[in-house]
Amino acid sequence: MNNIIVKTPSNIRELVDCLKCADEDTHLISGGTDFVIEMRNNPLFNGLIVDIKGVKELNYIKVEDDLIKIGANATFTEISENCTVKKYARALSEAASNIGSTQIRNVATLAGNLANCAPAADSIPALIALGAEVKIINGEGKIVTVEVEKTLKVLKKDEAIIEVIVPLRKTYISAFSKVGSRSRVTIAKLNIAVCVNCNEKIQDVVIAVGSLGPIAHRLERCEQVLLHEEPSRELLRKFKESLASEVVLEIPGRASLPYKREAIVGLCEDAFYMLFPKIRGDKVE
Amino acid sequence: MLLKLKVNGEHYSIDVDPSKRLLDVIREDLKLTGTKEGCSEGECGACTVIMNGKAINSCMLLAVQARESEIITVEGLEKDGELSELQKAFIEKGAVQCGFCTPGMLMSSKALLMKNPDPSDDEIKIAMEGNLCRCTGYVKIEEAVKEAIKNNKIKER
Repeated sequence: MNNIIVKTPSNIRELVDCLKCADEDTHLISGGTDFVIEMRNNPLFNGLIVDIKGVKELNYIKVEDDLIKIGANATFTEISENCTVKKYARALSEAASNIGSTQIRNVATLAGNLANCAPAADSIPALIALGAEVKIINGEGKIVTVEVEKTLKVLKKDEAIIEVIVPLRKTYISAFSKVGSRSRVTIAKLNIAVCVNCNEKIQDVVIAVGSLGPIAHRLERCEQVLLHEEPSRELLRKFKESLASEVVLEIPGRASLPYKREAIVGLCEDAFYMLFPKIRGDKVE
Repeated sequence: MLLKLKVNGEHYSIDVDPSKRLLDVIREDLKLTGTKEGCSEGECGACTVIMNGKAINSCMLLAVQARESEIITVEGLEKDGELSELQKAFIEKGAVQCGFCTPGMLMSSKALLMKNPDPSDDEIKIAMEGNLCRCTGYVKIEEAVKEAIKNNKIKER
């Protein structure tokens, strides 16, 4: 037998009470899919598990003030089936619908994917590209909103993600692509998300990549290649070149380098044609 | 801790070790051994059960996360000694070989048909993507699901 205690707060006030007494042996879960596997590999014998799934007020996806607000308990199934996310945050919708299997998406949450922050987490590049922010509450009940990139791997034990906020920008389009050992249900060997605002020329662009190093991050040098340019096959060629050389710079000497240098070119093409289907010759209404 | 849940229509109140997974409670406490443990990390889907109408991997969930929920396991598919249309179709189409993946396959397809009684081929494939079979292959399994859909429709007429 062990000394594990499980707490199941049913509202935010009770969640804050749990966070108040959080220490190194406290584990917050919402879907818990990563946690349960980790717990099997490294068994727990004592500590506190706080299951926030019972906090019903965190179970929503809504639009307010041109922001898509996703509560911490929204599952990937709910996110991938949401029409607003599909229309205005396609990179997130694509990432959510490609995470794990149906069984995993029915349980796993976006907030959990962010908090766990695995190097290959699919949702994180999408959120970075979309300029998302994260609302965090702590043990004193204080709420702060910070950019996604600033929350990665730095959450404290007495902090909980309560909401993810994605700006709803009607002129922006985004795309997500990944590669892994199975075509679906796979942990990404590489994933990429791109978000652009483009009239004739690309006026704004954010590119984020996962599985290239320990934490998902932006590729600002590659963004410069696209910025102020008109989408074309020539631009795609330059974009591919810049991404491939970025891989060489970021993981020099790594065994996976020859693979990832080639793989990113394919992902780059997928994402580029998702954003600019006319360039491939697709008929676009 | 005390866990209350409903499994295959019956109410249970069980004292469980908080580190136990839902899969462990189903197999060890409730002795419902139809649900299988395969990879234990969400790749194979052998442990799939239906929780509140949705297919989930019972190896990736602590039992306490299933508190107050309604679970269906493969044992809950037959009614009054008669197999469900899905089970009959799996047998008829030869979709079972060693049988280890079958309970998971059945529960994933059952969850799909509960949500959508007339799914497209792609929808069937997506619903089954989290279930691995290492002997029969997937063609016969897909055929069996389609056969069950057809037979369900005939029954409804």
